[in-house]
Amino acid sequence: MNRFFGMMVVVAGIVVGLFCASWAFYQVAGLGARAAVALGGPPEYGVAVANLVTLMLVGLMIGAALLTIGERKWSAMMQDRIGPNRIKVFGMSLGGIPFLLADALKMLTKENVELGQRSRVLFELAPAISFMPAFALFAVVPVGPETTVFGYRVSLQVVSLDAGLLYLFGIASLAVYGTALAGWASNNKLALLGGVRAASQMIGYEVSLGLALVGAMMAYQTLRLEEMVVGQGQLLWNFLPALGVIVNPVGMLIFFASAFAETKRAPFDLPEGESEIVGYFVEYAGMKFGMMMLSEFIEIVVLAAVVSTIFLGGWHPILFEGWLKEHLQPVPFAALCAATLLLKTFALCWMQLAVRWTLPRFRYDQIQQLCWKMLLPTALANVFITAACVLLDPSLHLLAVVGIIEIIVLAVLTFVGTGATAPEPEAHAHAAAAHAHPGH
Amino acid sequence: MPYHLPQDKPVSLRERLYLTEAIRGLRILTGHFLRNFFFTRETNPDILARSRKLSLNATLAYPEEKVPYPPGYRGLHRLVPREDGKPRCVACYMCATACPAQCIYIEAGELEGDPIEKYPTQFVIDELRCVVCGFCVEACPKDAIRMDTGEHAPPTYQRSQQIWDMKRLLRGTPVSYQYDPWLRRGASSIPEDKLAEMRANARPFHTVATDEYAQTPGFSVKALAAEARARVEAKK
Repeated sequence: MNRFFGMMVVVAGIVVGLFCASWAFYQVAGLGARAAVALGGPPEYGVAVANLVTLMLVGLMIGAALLTIGERKWSAMMQDRIGPNRIKVFGMSLGGIPFLLADALKMLTKENVELGQRSRVLFELAPAISFMPAFALFAVVPVGPETTVFGYRVSLQVVSLDAGLLYLFGIASLAVYGTALAGWASNNKLALLGGVRAASQMIGYEVSLGLALVGAMMAYQTLRLEEMVVGQGQLLWNFLPALGVIVNPVGMLIFFASAFAETKRAPFDLPEGESEIVGYFVEYAGMKFGMMMLSEFIEIVVLAAVVSTIFLGGWHPILFEGWLKEHLQPVPFAALCAATLLLKTFALCWMQLAVRWTLPRFRYDQIQQLCWKMLLPTALANVFITAACVLLDPSLHLLAVVGIIEIIVLAVLTFVGTGATAPEPEAHAHAAAAHAHPGH
Repeated sequence: MPYHLPQDKPVSLRERLYLTEAIRGLRILTGHFLRNFFFTRETNPDILARSRKLSLNATLAYPEEKVPYPPGYRGLHRLVPREDGKPRCVACYMCATACPAQCIYIEAGELEGDPIEKYPTQFVIDELRCVVCGFCVEACPKDAIRMDTGEHAPPTYQRSQQIWDMKRLLRGTPVSYQYDPWLRRGASSIPEDKLAEMRANARPFHTVATDEYAQTPGFSVKALAAEARARVEAKK
């Protein structure tokens, strides 16, 4: 029971910590604006630089680094194991977090292997090229709403682009260059195979990734992510928020699946394929490999943030939002909103790791089949249905009805009547026991 | 596809959709995660006997928690002491002769004023050479060497530390039998009152190696046999 209360404290601590962190982010952004004005520039530049430091360098990097430990510890809990606990600080393993330091130390002090046959420039450049796009994706994610700090308009978004989603697609497709170059420049046939696999997989899934978001674009009539978030705050029938997951559930599923393929993790880990080819980074050692691996985790965080922005209501707390807005000061309310988005992102990161430990990996032909024969046609159909609904009823009510029907169908297919196949072995066992009994 | 890949036909629409099965799998995994996250892991070394009501964790954190070795496990040797702290060993060389690995080295000494008895001045076992066959225990006529410690030779950094001398081997509870020659004839090295105490404590004749005294502490073949007999009786 002690552990139960301790874990409750940990969960509460995470929530409070996220709230305090987002409050601090707002303050830093306000300070950035003030500093920019003092230097004679427009305050927006100061806010952008402050957000770049706090959200991307601090928030994103720490989140991704902790996720490397989270993957090991959480997978252990899902598989009824203990997980990393051998490094102890004053007798406590602290949930395996000290392993972060050990891993970093190991990566940084490893021998830097210099291959004789590599193409030197590309080989050295590839980790950075695969790291950069994953990192830069986060720039357009609106973490918090706009509010006034120190007299300046401040929002937790590095840059607000007219072409927000197009930027997302563009940068996401750049990620393939890093992996393909790493495979090519290593001058190793297995690495090349991994790079080619990565290229064909990512190009395929980019199509369904883009088409999955077309529905959201049409529903909210915008490409800017912050406007999408605001659009999700409107209430349908005065009680139901127009969340992407309600308006466009199929789009969300397709986007989530394609995003998974983009991160190149299991069950889509064919480019890595540690059981067959070691993958496009087979020749990389030390921190160069570490960057490749870290970029995967950064992609997880970024895609979780994008999914929660476009489909789960972004920074809207949803529950008690009106009450909170009335009773809180604007800055704490904004911090609460930002903490909500961070919490949603956290939950989706957990979800991605859970999926990674649930599903066995695909064969290569199955990956291509899933993309071109299932996700792509479904995404196209989703685009047409969404377009028709928006055309008939621009107020999103019809779309929400269709979306709710889709969710109900999925829930029924998933959970109703599933007992039909499962207890069969048990029935056999009962029959066997019944046979055995009379002779006894 | 240049070659044919046989695809198992999924039986139902549900399985063909794949997504629903994935969601159900996720639900199971989430249950495991939450239970293991919020509730304390049980540390019962008998994993199958653990209660699986709250935590499902099935790990044994090895160096801190250990499964006890099964009864009859041949562990590290020990030399059985007498009540006066000396080994029961009479330096007859039977164990050293029986040893196929030749890992036992004994040097015999004479007792002052005793024309018959010998005792080991040195008794050394090289645990690196030992093949843990247990022949020495079988060969011993005096029940002076046993492998009932229930532990294995601990790891060391130096080979020399794996060579166990009498000082390290001589441990455990002392044992006396009524047929022990030093009890029947008396021994000049043991004081009279100590001898009387040993005679009082002496156990009856020791017959088989699977006697309860020769086993892992806490385990008794005799008790198990008695239980089995009682079960048979009860069935009748």
